[in-house]
Amino acid sequence: MTADDRPWAAYYEPEMRTDIDAPSYRNIGALVRSVANTYASAPAFTTCMPNGMNGTLTFQQVDEMSDAFAVYLREVAGLTKGDRVALQMPNGLAFPVAAFGVLKAGCVLVNVNPLYTADEMARQFLDCEPHALVIADMFAEKIPAATRGHPIPNIIVTRVAEFLPSLPREIIGLVQKYWDRSVKPIEVPHIRFPDALAAGRTHQAQDHIEVDAYHQDIAPDDLACLQYTGGTTGVAKGAMLTHKNLIMNMEQSLEMIPAIKRGTEVALTALPMYHIFAFTVNFLAFFWVGGRNILIPSPRPLTNLKRAFENYKITWMSGVNTLFNGLNNELWFRDSPPRHLKLASAGGMALQADVARRWEAVTGKTVLQGYGLTETSPVLSFNPMGKTRDGSIGVPVPSTLLRCVDETGQPVPQGTRGEIAAKGPQVMAGYWKKPEETAAVMRDGWFLTGDIGVMDPDGYFTIVDRKKDMVVVSGFNVYPNEVEDCLASHPGIFESAVIGVPDAATGEAVKAFIVLSDKSLTAADIRAHCKEHLTAYKVPKQIEFRSELPKSNVGKILRKDLRAEELRSLAAE
Amino acid sequence: MIGAFEQALLAAMIFVIMLGMGASLTPRDFYLALRRPYGLAVGVISQYGFMPLIGFLMTLALGLPAPIALGLLIVSCMPGGTTSNIFTYFSKGNLALSVLMTVTSTVFGVLLIPLVLLVYASALDLEIPRENIVATLVILLIPVGIGMGLRRLNANAGAVTEFFGSVLALVFIAFIAISWVPRNWQFLLSTTPSTYFAAIMLGVFGITVGYLFARALKLHPRNVRTVALETGIQNAPLAIAIIALTFSGEEQQSIMAVGALYSLFIVLTSTAVTLIFRRANTAAEQTIPDGLL
Repeated sequence: MTADDRPWAAYYEPEMRTDIDAPSYRNIGALVRSVANTYASAPAFTTCMPNGMNGTLTFQQVDEMSDAFAVYLREVAGLTKGDRVALQMPNGLAFPVAAFGVLKAGCVLVNVNPLYTADEMARQFLDCEPHALVIADMFAEKIPAATRGHPIPNIIVTRVAEFLPSLPREIIGLVQKYWDRSVKPIEVPHIRFPDALAAGRTHQAQDHIEVDAYHQDIAPDDLACLQYTGGTTGVAKGAMLTHKNLIMNMEQSLEMIPAIKRGTEVALTALPMYHIFAFTVNFLAFFWVGGRNILIPSPRPLTNLKRAFENYKITWMSGVNTLFNGLNNELWFRDSPPRHLKLASAGGMALQADVARRWEAVTGKTVLQGYGLTETSPVLSFNPMGKTRDGSIGVPVPSTLLRCVDETGQPVPQGTRGEIAAKGPQVMAGYWKKPEETAAVMRDGWFLTGDIGVMDPDGYFTIVDRKKDMVVVSGFNVYPNEVEDCLASHPGIFESAVIGVPDAATGEAVKAFIVLSDKSLTAADIRAHCKEHLTAYKVPKQIEFRSELPKSNVGKILRKDLRAEELRSLAAE
Repeated sequence: MIGAFEQALLAAMIFVIMLGMGASLTPRDFYLALRRPYGLAVGVISQYGFMPLIGFLMTLALGLPAPIALGLLIVSCMPGGTTSNIFTYFSKGNLALSVLMTVTSTVFGVLLIPLVLLVYASALDLEIPRENIVATLVILLIPVGIGMGLRRLNANAGAVTEFFGSVLALVFIAFIAISWVPRNWQFLLSTTPSTYFAAIMLGVFGITVGYLFARALKLHPRNVRTVALETGIQNAPLAIAIIALTFSGEEQQSIMAVGALYSLFIVLTSTAVTLIFRRANTAAEQTIPDGLL
């Protein structure tokens, strides 16, 4: 890469690597082993419950326990390299143990949003065919409906309070069972996570199994994760992320933030780790630098974060616009902003300039906005420290090229709008079993992001629009087809069109235009129907009834006309 | 009415409960409450300004017999009670402010109770048991301090203590409400409606006036709810102790009537108010839109 390719290179810090030739480790298993040897008895992960009850695992413990889980998967459950293991749980101590165990075993980790409905789970399972599922007890009641016709052979059940000291663990268990009633009896055959670890340990000792042997034959280009992102056709598609993708993306991101000091950081992980942002940036990257991740199982309501801020010296946090905005509005947070915080990083959705400014006023610290996609592990660009620009997604991270291209894939002149295309070691290997979908986004080695951006004269990028019909609701991708399919399944709905509209709270919101065949149907009925089949963030926030929808001469519904109409009426207001 | 053993048991329960309450606090909470001292000032004003006035106006309006009226006046002049902290905790109010208000009104009480009684009862010569006041402070501050220390030492120990403290608090509230009636059955039958009215409404009016006053002064809603509970909930056991020390025989029984009835009804009133406040607190919570968070 030359300076001509990279007008942004001037904004790189002098001491940082502008190109990263090869990942520091062959695979994540090797990384975990090496990091655990370095930081040994330092705390690696702490779960902090809303009432302050907590549990901690050290680097060594996470290493040992994930070894035991890897052995369980390979020797007891009989999985082999490349088999998929789905993980469906909120943030908690079971997550790092399970995730590292899967990766050490050479299996492929599939993160599943725990809030998914049984329908959504079923679609994802059908596509990735997991051989094992590690699931938190509170979501286990969805298993029978989600696996009907295609059972998952190994179900491993964990809990939010897993690996907490016994007294708080039991208290939380009793409260969940009798007070919240969030945990119901589990009907499918399963094994408890600690029992699986115990079985793994037994085998490990009896058969003298070296876990290192599993991951010695994992090459950098072997699959690590299938990270699902919804699909343009309404069917979820899994981005194939390799060990190299993830390790390189950690290196690239860390390079941009020289303020991170190894072995001293305390990161607040309020965003869910099943999402690629917190997965790479918090879970993996902070583990690598010997940081302590404070895991928040549920950040709603935001007062759930109060004890974490009071009890731990948080130096780093990552969030989405909604989180920063929400904290800005909490009196307790404004009264006692975290004193040890160095910086915060924002991603997932556009960070509003006003939110960023108020955050700075409250905490005295900057929020650095980054940009990326599930398909790019995720980080593509970041605002360099001390050189942030309002509304900009910053400059590409090392070893990454970004450019704006026209419809034919040719670069457009700087300052002109074009689709952002990316090239770098963090770009996925493709979509799982979807060669056409992969071909549609890969062109001459460039990944087409679907986002329309502008590169300014010195190489900072700004997003101005989106090419795909996808809607981003507070960091989550929603594909109109999926919502329309759900609407179509209602007998009272004749046809519908779903678009994204600007929304003050979530950046964008889902809006459905509906033509009814049953005129008595109300918006509330329709939302209730959607809630049964779709996670809350996909349910249309706005519903407008129409007598007909704009169509092309071949009868295709024109979402773009509706979007244009919507934007015109907003502009008129 | 309450035997020595029960009294000791209640004191022990309060100690454990306050240990739990303390474990939910940090020094910073107190620092913040002190940094905005109007809350405290508002508390003292409504405690010794409004409450005795409410009591006095009720004696006039209800035409209560002299000993009952005197009992009502004494209860209305009392500082805030420890139970106010428990209800503030459950209503998700500002617990540090509540504790500080209880402490302030108790300490100021040594001076202000005689002064207020001078105004409304023309220098009634009451014996105020200093040891009771000291005991109130001790039973409040020592466990709160230990609880805070526990949390600092180990967040889990703090959280577990808080959990058991709050469970015990619920038991305590239920215990008072349930055990009171059979213990005082005869007394309940022989009490006149106007005495009932006075005992019930002192708390209701106190909470209402405290709420409106704090709201008029534009305190934060959490602090408004805290001042309301603090104002309405009096240290009734202190009133009973004062009466027991000062009076005797039949006269003592009559003067104590309001205090005894109040002890029961304030628990019921505060429970209802706490449920309302909790709902208000939840309603005021930010709604985080569905999405990645």
